[in-house]
Amino acid sequence: MAQSAKQRYLFLAFCLLPTFLLFLVFTVYPMLGGLYYSFFEWSGTSSVKTFIGLDNYVKLWNDTIIKQAIFNDFFFVFVKVIGIMMLSLFFAVALTQLRIKEAPFYRIVFFFPNIMSVVVIGILWQFIYDPSIGLVNSFLMKVGLTEWARPWLGDMTWVLPSIAIPAIWAGIGLFMLLLMGGISNVPKSLYEAADIDGASEWQQFWRITVPLIWPQIKTSILYIIITSLNGSFVLVQVMTGGGPGSASEVMGSYLYQRAFEDFQFGYGAAIGVLILVVSLITVLISQFILKKEKVEY
Amino acid sequence: MVHKKGMKQFWLLFALVGLLMLLAACSGDDTKDDVATNVEGTEADGTPEEPAKEDGLSGKLEIQYFVGGYGDEWWKQVIGDFKNENPNLEIVEHAGPNINTEMNTRWISNNPPDVVYIDGAGANETQMIAEGQLMDISDFVKDLKMEDGTPLLDSFISPAEEIDGGKIYSLPLVFDTWGIWYDSNWFKENNWAAPTDFDTWLSSMEQIKVETNIAPFITTGQHPQYFERGVLNPAFAAAGGEQFLNDLRNGVVEAWQRPEALEVMKKVQKMADAKVVDPGFAAYNHTQSQMNFLLHKNAYIPVGFWLPNEMKNDTPSDLEFGFTPTPMNEPGEPLALVPDIRTIAVSEKAKNPEAAKAFLEFIFTEKYAQDFAASTGAIMNLKNVDLSANTNVPEFLTGINDMINNPDAVQLYKHHTPDAEVQKIAVEITNEIKLQLIEVLLGKKTAEQFIDIMTKKSQELRK
Repeated sequence: MAQSAKQRYLFLAFCLLPTFLLFLVFTVYPMLGGLYYSFFEWSGTSSVKTFIGLDNYVKLWNDTIIKQAIFNDFFFVFVKVIGIMMLSLFFAVALTQLRIKEAPFYRIVFFFPNIMSVVVIGILWQFIYDPSIGLVNSFLMKVGLTEWARPWLGDMTWVLPSIAIPAIWAGIGLFMLLLMGGISNVPKSLYEAADIDGASEWQQFWRITVPLIWPQIKTSILYIIITSLNGSFVLVQVMTGGGPGSASEVMGSYLYQRAFEDFQFGYGAAIGVLILVVSLITVLISQFILKKEKVEY
Repeated sequence: MVHKKGMKQFWLLFALVGLLMLLAACSGDDTKDDVATNVEGTEADGTPEEPAKEDGLSGKLEIQYFVGGYGDEWWKQVIGDFKNENPNLEIVEHAGPNINTEMNTRWISNNPPDVVYIDGAGANETQMIAEGQLMDISDFVKDLKMEDGTPLLDSFISPAEEIDGGKIYSLPLVFDTWGIWYDSNWFKENNWAAPTDFDTWLSSMEQIKVETNIAPFITTGQHPQYFERGVLNPAFAAAGGEQFLNDLRNGVVEAWQRPEALEVMKKVQKMADAKVVDPGFAAYNHTQSQMNFLLHKNAYIPVGFWLPNEMKNDTPSDLEFGFTPTPMNEPGEPLALVPDIRTIAVSEKAKNPEAAKAFLEFIFTEKYAQDFAASTGAIMNLKNVDLSANTNVPEFLTGINDMINNPDAVQLYKHHTPDAEVQKIAVEITNEIKLQLIEVLLGKKTAEQFIDIMTKKSQELRK
């Protein structure tokens, strides 16, 4: 028996080793590299590097734009978690529990943005928001709300919500499918019993559906947080470049600007370390908040 | 026992392979990183090239050039001609719109190409000089002469920059500059006059606004450097001269406190107050703003010389490009132009420096200046090149060329390359200008607030 267990572990190690090596090479090594470079003044374009200790972090501490960027990142996290979860849960319930004939079609429609490149989504929505030819302003003018029309991506007040909308739109499909999988696995008998007991649909949703698909909800929220902190950059870069001014700057776009436009690669690396730390802390806090006993009926 | 021994050998072998993979991935050999580049030969192997032979140049010559709004037609032609003159020379081209990024690993690993045209995103000449990446070619260029015997250094419109007491690290190849574009045909049809100073410019914009109900001025808010370089820098130069312009950009506190700085920003504020700036400008990138200009949604746009070439596929047939140095000057004073020179250099670690220098010598001729104007719609940085007889050169360019070569019409101001320390300040100042400019143009900040912020930023950086 002991020999057999040892062989099983060896076999598992054998299977995991390539992945582990890839993880070391392509994840751990660059992360440690980023940490290393953050202690240097380095343009990123030559071999000349100067060790400056914690200077990049001191500069980061005094940088007002990074504070704005962190705020913006958390704005996106917050509205994406709320927006995506509410809408994907709504559509998941609608497409599984209401007997809609066209449900398979809607599944494809909602999932469609997930197969599109974020760059394409950004450009598409840039056209939608275009101040002179965009759909949004044209619609507002058609319905007589001319004073509501504005350069959405050029307005310091409206730029963040304007970027958040396509981010939510693009995120619904994936999480809707994930939640639909969870809802499909809830035994029908529970709803039938609840019906007999006179529970309303709303009560059934809160007392049966949500508790039983909590693992999927939790996974979705964590995934949205992680992807938002690391992934808002592309949409921001394409749609506004962090502007107007620094109104839509996120940590990723600021890293890009500092490292690749201002040739301050060391400082960019320090921003990268900050993103890692902020992400880790946020995920740990989220996991703590979302901790809930698994419900079984 | 045999089975156990076999298993041990297997795991040993597996661990070794894994270790090798890890070492290979972590090794500093970056020579394979430029696979995406446009290579017309074999990869650089890092070995020194053979010296030039008597019957012409030989070995390998690697040339890195950025392909942007000016395209690559001219480069292909000169490189082809140079190759014909030196059949024993193998030329490797590294070119493309992202070439600076793609070649970065080569520069970091001290294995750069021989010749580099410094242009486009990811290229910074000041940084390259400060980090010793470019060769001091002072002695070489001092002896170079044009076909008519004029020293090359005397033949540039904007002179080669001398650093650290006379050292020359690059040659000014392309005379790029930012100015204001308009549609000459459209202006003729409507009897609108091209402006000559700020007052006539503002009144022209107000007139166009009344007659057409458009916001006459557009720029890209996503890339505020277009306004900074295209409007603000010429305005500062016109108001206070070359030293003033350079001091402002380098964060000299006293410069930001001079009344001329506020006067210039008051002009910018006037544009915002008069509502002649497109209200959507902050949302547009450079392509969108250029498209709007071509579609007559606006009448003036600050862009560099590459505009007609870059947008040629989208330009309506009846649009005729008109260009003027940005009219931020006072009435009666010359228009101010701040050239944005694109240079060419030999890398310090060039493996075939003789061929690299020969290539530099080869391209600075009147013939290639004519060809450059014809194929790019821009000007090579050589004086007294008569483009009027060249039918392949666009009409607007002939006019610009005459204007630039006429010191009475246009005053040229140079932006000097600061040293490495000041360059760090200049980067922060530029970033702050870009941030604050948008708010002034949106009417959210006054000229006084802008100057106050820039003064404080300069004080902070100069501490």
